[in-house]
Amino acid sequence: MNEIIKTQKLCKTFSNGGMQQHVLRNIDLSIYEGDFTVIMGASGAGKSTLLYALSGMDKPSLGDIDFAGKNITKGTPDELAVFRRKNCGFVFQQTYLVDSMSVLDNVLAAALLVEKNKKKAASKAKEVLKSVDIEESLWNKFPTQISGGEAQRVGIARALINDPKLVFADEPTGALNSTTGKDVLDVLTKANEKGQSIVMVTHDITSARRGNRILYVKDGEIAGECQLGKYVSGDKERHLKLRDFLGGMGW
Amino acid sequence: MSKERILAKSHFRKNKGSSIGIFCLMLLASMLLSLSMILFTDTYPTAEKEAERLNGGDGILFFTSSKIQADDAYLTKLLDGVKEYEVERALYYSVLSMPFGSAEMTNSLKVGRVETTTSKKLARTEICEEDASVEGDFIYLPYQFKTSGGYHVGDDYKLSISGETYDLRIKGFLNTVYGGCNNSGLYESCVSDEVYDRMYAKIGDAGESTFVVFNLKDDVKEGAFRIRVMNTLMADDPLADVSMNYLSAFLSSRTFMSLIIAGSFFAVTMLVVLVIILMIVNSISNYVKENMKTIGALKAIGYTSRNIKGSVLMMFLALAVIASVLGVAVSYLVAPMIASVVIAQMGVPYSVSFSLIATIVAISTVVVLTILVTLLALRKIKRIEPIVALREGVESHNFRSNHVRLDKTPLSLNASLSFKTMLHNKRQNIITFVVTGIMVFFCVIALLMFENFNLHPNLNILMSESADGVVGFDVETKEEGEKFCKSYPEVKNLRRYFETTINVGQEDSLALMVFEDPTRMNNQDICYKGKLPSHDNEVNISGKFAKLNGYKLGDEIKLNVGGKEYAYIICGLIQSCNNDGHQAIMSESAASHILDLQIMPSAFAFDTEEDDQIESFLTSCDEKFGDHVVVRINMQKTIEASLITFKGIATLMLVMVGLISALVILLVLFLLIRSLVFSKRKDYGIYKAIGYTSKSLILQTAGSFMPAIILSVLIFSVLSYFMANPYMQLIMINFGLMKCTFNIPIPGLIAIGTAMILLSFLFAVLQARRIKKVEPYQMLVAE
Repeated sequence: MNEIIKTQKLCKTFSNGGMQQHVLRNIDLSIYEGDFTVIMGASGAGKSTLLYALSGMDKPSLGDIDFAGKNITKGTPDELAVFRRKNCGFVFQQTYLVDSMSVLDNVLAAALLVEKNKKKAASKAKEVLKSVDIEESLWNKFPTQISGGEAQRVGIARALINDPKLVFADEPTGALNSTTGKDVLDVLTKANEKGQSIVMVTHDITSARRGNRILYVKDGEIAGECQLGKYVSGDKERHLKLRDFLGGMGW
Repeated sequence: MSKERILAKSHFRKNKGSSIGIFCLMLLASMLLSLSMILFTDTYPTAEKEAERLNGGDGILFFTSSKIQADDAYLTKLLDGVKEYEVERALYYSVLSMPFGSAEMTNSLKVGRVETTTSKKLARTEICEEDASVEGDFIYLPYQFKTSGGYHVGDDYKLSISGETYDLRIKGFLNTVYGGCNNSGLYESCVSDEVYDRMYAKIGDAGESTFVVFNLKDDVKEGAFRIRVMNTLMADDPLADVSMNYLSAFLSSRTFMSLIIAGSFFAVTMLVVLVIILMIVNSISNYVKENMKTIGALKAIGYTSRNIKGSVLMMFLALAVIASVLGVAVSYLVAPMIASVVIAQMGVPYSVSFSLIATIVAISTVVVLTILVTLLALRKIKRIEPIVALREGVESHNFRSNHVRLDKTPLSLNASLSFKTMLHNKRQNIITFVVTGIMVFFCVIALLMFENFNLHPNLNILMSESADGVVGFDVETKEEGEKFCKSYPEVKNLRRYFETTINVGQEDSLALMVFEDPTRMNNQDICYKGKLPSHDNEVNISGKFAKLNGYKLGDEIKLNVGGKEYAYIICGLIQSCNNDGHQAIMSESAASHILDLQIMPSAFAFDTEEDDQIESFLTSCDEKFGDHVVVRINMQKTIEASLITFKGIATLMLVMVGLISALVILLVLFLLIRSLVFSKRKDYGIYKAIGYTSKSLILQTAGSFMPAIILSVLIFSVLSYFMANPYMQLIMINFGLMKCTFNIPIPGLIAIGTAMILLSFLFAVLQARRIKKVEPYQMLVAE
């Protein structure tokens, strides 16, 4: 399998007054094309910090990150922003849609950064919105006028619109109830089945089951890794394997 | 420390940037308020205060006559109705061109002996600066020669009178009631006895003139007294050169420009105060939005709305008090610079003194307004429920429609997002629109003043008749002089005229200009309503006088002089800044009903093809007619000197208004964009996360203010183009200018608009650069 991301001795340290907090410690990690990688760990273990460092949204204190052949630890903020347009998609816990934009415009605002032809961009945005089950009647509504689950699916559409090399999802179901959370996970799973690489941070075992590779972060290090294979609904053995792995990690 | 005080300090720490912005606006407002109050209460009344201190009397009468023996007996009889008077004999030149800076000033000049000039009891003339070491042929000049003409004690001063040149040195400057300012038409000077004797020897048969300063008895009416005295003198000697004016008229002409400046300052100040009110309301509203969580937390732990409101009020009150005190202090640093320009025009010794009224008004206005608008804007705090506030309030967007659909708009992505931001920030854009518009209007007013008083002086407004030059002959040679003028090849458009005074009834007087044919005047704009007189029963009177006395077009007006009276039809209304708006124009044929034209001197206004032909023609007149030439004015040179003070004021206005406008727009954009970036920081985080660069977000944000600014510049440029003259009219109407036709240069207007748009964009981009500091990761994770 091809590596999309490869990190070397990745460290992240936060300074607060005279105190230093080492959140990530010498992480060597590869993320592979086509994988649905799940990062798990206890609160404060450094999951989200690792996710945003891998995406180039946050700069590591030390170490290198090679993302699709580019060392993203060296770029300026604007260079990294341009890099993210084509290579990264983001799904956040709080949907983070722009309230003053309609559903369609939220997706188009990302699409038009890459596709300059408005007609093509609009047609693709509509296609992607349909693929995440957002009906046409909602396209011209504003984020405050749709439900949380719908808003999160719009967020996924926005993340997928530019066919990124990798989608980063940070607790995408954290703010949703179980039914809408399942819908969102279904959308992500469907995208992964179509070949979309995904890295997802979660502390929810049900969500983690969707991944084929589970990484466990503890005290800023990758404490363990579990290969589950591709997700199949109702696969109890898979669930037990994951539970055993997490149990072993002290979760 | 009270809990409100602790909270107030915390508010300030949290809102340091916008607090500083509002502080600057408050400082600016109090500074301008204090400045305009200083101009109104201290600088502007200086001439009046000085006149009172110098015991200025009620008025001055001066006449030159070879027939009248103005001895005590004659004057006592003439001045019946006067409480007290004082007589001074001095030399008088009714029209004289004098060096003034790098130009020439044409004015009347009184020349006295030092002893007699400085020993008067009524309308005292004081030496306000002198160098006792200067001896020989010296002269004391009015103080305006220093303030406006740029002369210093010890400078050489060359005076040419009737072909004789006097090489003098300036020994000092005079502070004088009636002869200190070019606008009041008379300069007072005194020279060494030797020089005086030489001048006296040259003056001819008329000899010394008589100057009488008087105080009227309480029951004597000024107008009636004036008419009786003038008629008596003209009856006794029809050829006498007589002039009489009251102190109020002298003061009015001496101070009208400073009143315009004070008025303009006040108008600008009021608008800055308006802008500040808008900004305080906006800032407090933003404050409540931005601090919703804190307000919720404070309410949750037991603070009442009153406590919270009190703390916010305390913060703004502290800012207002400190800013207004500092603003007043700064105003005293700036005041001497502005006052010096005003004083240059008045020619009165002056230094800025502390004005308690100005200080109280400036500080109390800013403080009281701040309290009022703060309390008004804080009313909403009472309605905030703590639980709602802790959730940062219920989002209640009401988007009726998606105005700029990204899939439909022909605009680029950045432009589309700019428009979206603009539509989402309607209130901020309305504020920007209004503020920019107000500033455009005041820049156009400053441009108008600069264009018409400095760059291309609008002589039709400043003078009754515009011409390249004027030459005047005495009664003996006026016919021969006219023939000479008509035969001179380079002279064209010769207009014969003379000036005198006529009376309306028994109490009012008008300065009368009699033209051979008024319809041939260059300044056709002088008649703003009706037509210039052409028949022998027609007259034009000034609009100010007509308004004061209820005259309308077509009315009959009885005019008299020296016992003769005639009823004229008012066929037109004229405007003039001169003679306190008391002026009339008629033709020679009309004047012949009440005046003996044979004994009137004649002056000729003329034009030439080339500027250098003016001086060569005047020199030819001097050579041919010598002392019989009583008036010779090269307008090209004279106008330069007359406009020196106007130019200074116009330039000052342009610079001040330009700076204030730039500063206000800068501060407003600073506050608005700061608040916008703060409230949209989450959106900027999202944009950056999905791949927008800081540069494109900065341009989008700065660009979102541009439609409001561009629209405002366009609309207010057009409005200002049409409204500037009516606005100026509101101010100038008090000085007799009833219909302003000031030129507003379109290129200047375009330059102002372009500069304002570019500057605003630059400021907006600079302010929006704080978006660079928004880090997507921290912004999103922090939520």
